[in-house]
Amino acid sequence: MAALVYYYIKTKKVVHIRRVPGLDAIEEAVGRSAEMGKPVICSFGIGGFTYWTLAGLAILSHVAHLTAKTGSRLIVPTGGGDQALIVRPVAEEIVKTAYTMEGVEDQYTPDDLPFYSGQQYAYIGGYVGVMQRVRPGSVIMTGSHASEAMNIAETSNTVGAITITSGSYISNVAALACASDYILIGEEAPAAGAYLSDDPAQRASIRVQDLFKWLAIAVMILGLAARSLGNDLMLRLLAT
Amino acid sequence: MAEILKNKQLQIIVMALSFLFVFLPYFLNVPQLNTASTKLVTICSIVTAFTVALAVIAQFRRGMNIINRRSRGWYFKAYMLVTLVLMLGFSLMGRDSGPYQWVMFAVVNPLSSVNYGILAFYMASTAARAFRARNTKALMLLVSGFIVLMYQAPLTGAYFTGFEPISIYLGSTFSMAAGRMFLISVTVGAIVFGVRVILGKEPSVLGISKEEK
Repeated sequence: MAALVYYYIKTKKVVHIRRVPGLDAIEEAVGRSAEMGKPVICSFGIGGFTYWTLAGLAILSHVAHLTAKTGSRLIVPTGGGDQALIVRPVAEEIVKTAYTMEGVEDQYTPDDLPFYSGQQYAYIGGYVGVMQRVRPGSVIMTGSHASEAMNIAETSNTVGAITITSGSYISNVAALACASDYILIGEEAPAAGAYLSDDPAQRASIRVQDLFKWLAIAVMILGLAARSLGNDLMLRLLAT
Repeated sequence: MAEILKNKQLQIIVMALSFLFVFLPYFLNVPQLNTASTKLVTICSIVTAFTVALAVIAQFRRGMNIINRRSRGWYFKAYMLVTLVLMLGFSLMGRDSGPYQWVMFAVVNPLSSVNYGILAFYMASTAARAFRARNTKALMLLVSGFIVLMYQAPLTGAYFTGFEPISIYLGSTFSMAAGRMFLISVTVGAIVFGVRVILGKEPSVLGISKEEK
């Protein structure tokens, strides 16, 4: 799979990739906030450097560029767990870099990346509190959030913000799908950086995900057929 | 020196090498590589511990700004900073007993439980909004949700036993299939994402802009 990704990145084949409504909505959400003169809240989860967090940071970078361009205030609540502490300085650097690259370094405010707590529910108290006080135009919640994700999504809905979320485990996805305006499911969040990029090489790499998903579906159907006919070859192959 | 450390290419190389140091020992049994990998993980743990100090400093800086400006609710910030200092003091007196443990058990844990409990109301309000039969799919969701809820609720689960087989069937077929598909797609996405990071194609996760690279 890694070799195939490398191949697609190198050949820079322009491929058609399906639209992801959740990622397309980010620009609309930030634009809406700018028009309303309201801030944007974007968080990258409470986990350490997992792929969920890295995906969340890629989305944060995109959002920071957009808020810097539109002049909207960006608030990034941080904390929530011991592992999240090491991600905080990277997030600060990401937002600062985005504002510098857009030529509005003076608009970057470190205080807008508040650290609430290393405790999950103390963090969520701060997060929900800031949403109630500043009434954001949009809330983009990505990365690895646990049970507190529902507090965020539902409060966001209550304050009338566009809510874009990504669930990092299946039961969370089910609940967030009901609570959010847009949700990133499965591989959509890790693909965000490439999807939002203008680089054809990166966008081409997304094709590999789709290819392997089709492969997984084919294996499932084959396994199902083989098992129905009393053959457990696929079962033994996948069990090893 | 600082300029060298800020070199973006160097950061990507260090990241790729760190990945190899941790990844390769899973497949190769080279004692030197194992030792290097363990040391690297230990260094990461130490760096993580230092980031706690950074977070506390950020908390203080922000709190003091709000207090100095006498912004709305500044006294809450003052209270928070006082408790932060107090907890720091308590932790130095020992974390297994004494005031630190009392605060954790008598204040922090009950408050966390309350926050967790509130989740039920959030779920109820979400369900009330989402579970409306606007179309066929929503109707199917509503019916499935109703059956599972009736089975899970203690009273209806005990008295109306007909919900049990349907609920178990829904959980062990549709729900499990969807869950596994989710896991497969996440795993595929994570691998592809990992390759892009290692190749330096996702510089934004390091705080590097594409233009900068």
